[in-house]
Amino acid sequence: MSLLVTSISLFLLSLFAFVTVNLYHFLNILDEKIEIIAFLEQNADYQALESNIMKINGVRDVIYVSSGQALKELRAELKETEEVLRVFETNPLPASLRIKLLAKFRNARGLEEISDKVMLLRGIRETIYGGELVDQLKKITGVITTFDIALLLIIIFSVVFVIFQTIKLTIFARATEIDIMKLVGASNSFIAIPFTFEGIAQGILGGFIAFVLTVITKRVAVSFLSDIYFPQGYFFLGSILCGIIFGIIGSSLALRRFLK
Amino acid sequence: MITFDNVTKVYQKDWVALQDISFFIEKGEFVFINGKTGAGKSTLLKMIYKDEEPTKGTIKVLEQNLRLLKKKNIPKLRRKIGVIFQDFKLLQDRTLEENVAFALEVTNTQPRDLRKQMLEILTYLRLSHKKFSFPYQLSGGEQQKVAIARALVRDPYILLADEPTGNLDEKSSQEIIDVLLDINYKGTTVLMATHNLKLIRKVKKRMLRIEDAKLASDE
Repeated sequence: MSLLVTSISLFLLSLFAFVTVNLYHFLNILDEKIEIIAFLEQNADYQALESNIMKINGVRDVIYVSSGQALKELRAELKETEEVLRVFETNPLPASLRIKLLAKFRNARGLEEISDKVMLLRGIRETIYGGELVDQLKKITGVITTFDIALLLIIIFSVVFVIFQTIKLTIFARATEIDIMKLVGASNSFIAIPFTFEGIAQGILGGFIAFVLTVITKRVAVSFLSDIYFPQGYFFLGSILCGIIFGIIGSSLALRRFLK
Repeated sequence: MITFDNVTKVYQKDWVALQDISFFIEKGEFVFINGKTGAGKSTLLKMIYKDEEPTKGTIKVLEQNLRLLKKKNIPKLRRKIGVIFQDFKLLQDRTLEENVAFALEVTNTQPRDLRKQMLEILTYLRLSHKKFSFPYQLSGGEQQKVAIARALVRDPYILLADEPTGNLDEKSSQEIIDVLLDINYKGTTVLMATHNLKLIRKVKKRMLRIEDAKLASDE
């Protein structure tokens, strides 16, 4: 019974971590996509521009996209409707530089600042970037983070409470034994050690079961959503470790009143 | 061996369990604590092995002032005191032998010494032939003997008995009293709480009588 409760509690925590990790993974991908695209004038010296832009504070990487490559990408995006491009006799797309930014600069102000600096360079026709949209994304991320932390605290508190309650029941069932132990002169540590070990063992087993359940959940999720992020090793270690920690906390809390 | 000096015990809400109790018990004595149910006999015994703290006054056991005894040293005190109860307090899921061994295991006694000490005590109490029985297979008198064996297996200086015959018929009660007297004869100080005056009169030993939370007589 106690093991079942521990496993389910740890599974809930693991599930929460799973959702959180994926949410952040997704936000991270979006964040990575924040970039400035600088269109070049014809015959601009892109190599010189590339090295000049790299010198700007906040720029992480610059990628050159030739006009031919841009067309190829557009065609791929249009797929079946690519015929519309036949209207043009020549390639209408200009060559461009994709400017990747350091994380700190991926906000409206950073984008504007860097874009202004890029615009000053000779050979740049125009720059485009997300701007306000980016700030909105940041705001959403902030709200999600706050909710996430609050939820995490609630879940941890509930998990510890539930585990504590179940261990307490097991210990209550053995109250006579503890009483007699104390009566015949057992030290507190002598009494506590077996219960603590029991708590740890239960935590490990519960953590393992929770991990298996999470893996199953992931398998199911994969069939609905293709891009699932699941660092298995970390989840395994995390589940076991949480099990051990909660087992120790739960059993020592439950034992405290008996060993006053 | 045991000194109570103006000991008062007040439980919460001003319920006075014991008031200004003073007495001295010498090494090797056999003393009855008499009083009605709820008079404070159990509280008195509990204070001797520091399961309860006095609200006021000083208690000395084995030359130690219990108020000054640190929490971590309480187990050491308890190893020198054996306690038995009306309800025996045996572990129902363990055999007689395991119940007795329990008292030695908690102090990490070597297995060989453990066996030797246990056999001695079980032979003395004539329980060896039942060592593989579980408590529920034994009579009340036998169960109390197991509890005595557990209390004695470590050679305590003091044996505290809290209504040890309360659940027993007359014959078994007499048997238990005889065992306690014999233990006392061998040198262990025995304190036995009981409300049974008939039993006390038969034995003719010192009696401390508690009435209305106070020590009414010492005879």
